Amino acid sequence: MESAKLAAFLIHASDNVVTLLGQGKEGDDCDVHGARRSSVVLKEDIQYGHKVALRDIAQGESIVKYAQTIGRATQPIPAGRWVHVHNIESLRGRGDLEEQR
Amino acid sequence: MTVGVSFLGYPRPRGVPGIRNHVAILSVMDNVNPVTRGIAHNVAGTLPITMLFGRGQYGYDREVTYRTLAGLGANPNIAAVLVVGLESTSADEVVARLEESGKPCDCIVVAEMGGTIRALEEGTRKAQRLVIEASRLRRREYPLSQLRMGLECGGSDTTSGLAANPLMGRVADTLIDHGGTAIISETWEFVGAEHLFAERAQDPDVKREFLDRIRSAENNALSRGLDVRGTNPSPDNIRGGLSTIEEKSLGAMAKAGSRPLVGVLDYGEPPHLSGLHYMDTPAAAVESMTGLSAGGCQVLLFATGVGNTIDCTTTPTIKITANRNTAVALADNIDFDASALLDSQEVRMDAMADQLLEFVADVASGTLTKGEVLKQQELAISRFQPST
Repeated sequence: MESAKLAAFLIHASDNVVTLLGQGKEGDDCDVHGARRSSVVLKEDIQYGHKVALRDIAQGESIVKYAQTIGRATQPIPAGRWVHVHNIESLRGRGDLEEQR
Repeated sequence: MTVGVSFLGYPRPRGVPGIRNHVAILSVMDNVNPVTRGIAHNVAGTLPITMLFGRGQYGYDREVTYRTLAGLGANPNIAAVLVVGLESTSADEVVARLEESGKPCDCIVVAEMGGTIRALEEGTRKAQRLVIEASRLRRREYPLSQLRMGLECGGSDTTSGLAANPLMGRVADTLIDHGGTAIISETWEFVGAEHLFAERAQDPDVKREFLDRIRSAENNALSRGLDVRGTNPSPDNIRGGLSTIEEKSLGAMAKAGSRPLVGVLDYGEPPHLSGLHYMDTPAAAVESMTGLSAGGCQVLLFATGVGNTIDCTTTPTIKITANRNTAVALADNIDFDASALLDSQEVRMDAMADQLLEFVADVASGTLTKGEVLKQQELAISRFQPST
C-alpha cells in the first residue's frame, strides 16, 4: 500500500470512537477525517478496520458510533486505546442479563 | 446520470421479467433430492433445487416450506418447473401453488411411477421438453422499474457499514426512484438500529408490524436466557472489528438507503407494491437469500467485509466489498471492488453508485457473476419449529 499517513474515519461528530483505515502501530499519530478533522495517537497496535477511542471513555459510559449507542465500556478506555469486545459489551439480545434479574 | 438505465430480460407470462432462463428441477422434500440431481445432471439448462426437510413439517413451518418452494419455482429467473415429489399429495400442492405464475410446469412422483430409474427416465424426458421450450424465449428491453433487488450482507466487518452497505443503499434508492423494488432482510440485524428504521415506515401499521418482528426475535433470546454475543456478531465479524450487534445492525441498515419502508413481508413472501420492503428472515446469508429469492428478487447485492463467498442458486448475487484486503485476497469471488471509497478521499459515493448500478444492469442483461461461474450457490429454507 501507499506510504500515506495512517488514517481513521469518524462517522458522526458526536462519536467517541473512530475506525482505523490501515494497520496501526503503538505510537502512530493517526489523522482522523470524516465528520470532522482531528487526530489521535495510538496507545497500542490496532488492526485495520478496528475501533480506536477518540477521547477518554469512562467505565459504564456509552460507546457512540453512527451517533448511536453501540454498547457500553466495561472498563475505563483512554484515548488511543483499542475499543472492542474485551472492553465494551452489547446491551441487546442479552438473555443472560435477563436471567440474572 | 443513471436515468435511462435499462436491462434485457426474459418475458414471463405474469409479473416481472427474468434475468436468467433456467428450468428448475424442484424437490418437494429431501427424500427425492437424488432424483432431482440426477435429472439436472442429465439435462443442460436445468437448475436443481434440492431441499432438506419438508416431510413431517406442520403448522407455520409447513406453510413456510411450501410457500418458499413455490416461490423459488415462481421466481422470474425460472422459465419452467419440473416438480419432483415422492407422493402425489405434496407434489400436487406445489404444482397448484405454481399455477399462479402461469409458467410451464410438469411433475413426476417417484414412488407412484415405479421407482427412481423410471422417475429419472421420465423426468429427463419432461425436463428436455421444458428446456427446449424455454430456449425459444428471447431477451427484451425492460426499464429499471421491472427489477426487484434483494439487499444482503454477510461476513461483515466495519468497512461494510462504512462504505459497501451505504453504496448498496444508494443503488437501492435510485432503483426505487425509478419505480423498482428493493427488499432488505435479516431481522436480528436491526436489533439496536430498529428505532431509526421504524421512523421510515410509510404508515403506523407498517411501523408497528416492523417493530413487532424485531421485538419478537429479541424476546425469543431473552425468554430462553440466551446471550447472542459470539453468534451475532459472529467470530469473523468480531475479527473484522465489529464489537456488538448494535454496531453491526447500524451498519447493516445502511443497505436499505433512505427511502420510505412501504411493506413488511413474511419469509419467502413476494411484495405486492413497489418500493422498499423488509422481509423477516434469519441473518444467516443462505437462509436469508432463499427467502429473498422466493419473494421474487431477480438480483441480489451482497456486501461482504472479511468475506462470505456463497451466492443464491436461483438469484444471481453480486459480491461487493469495501475492504481492500478482501478485494485482493478474495478477488476470485468479488464482483465489485468498492475499497476506493475508504482508501481515496477523492472517490465519491454517488459516482461509484452509478458504476454499480450499470454493473447491476449488465448482470441483469446476462453478464455472469463470479459466483455463477464458480457455482458457489446454495439454498436453505429456514426451519422455525420441530417436525413431527
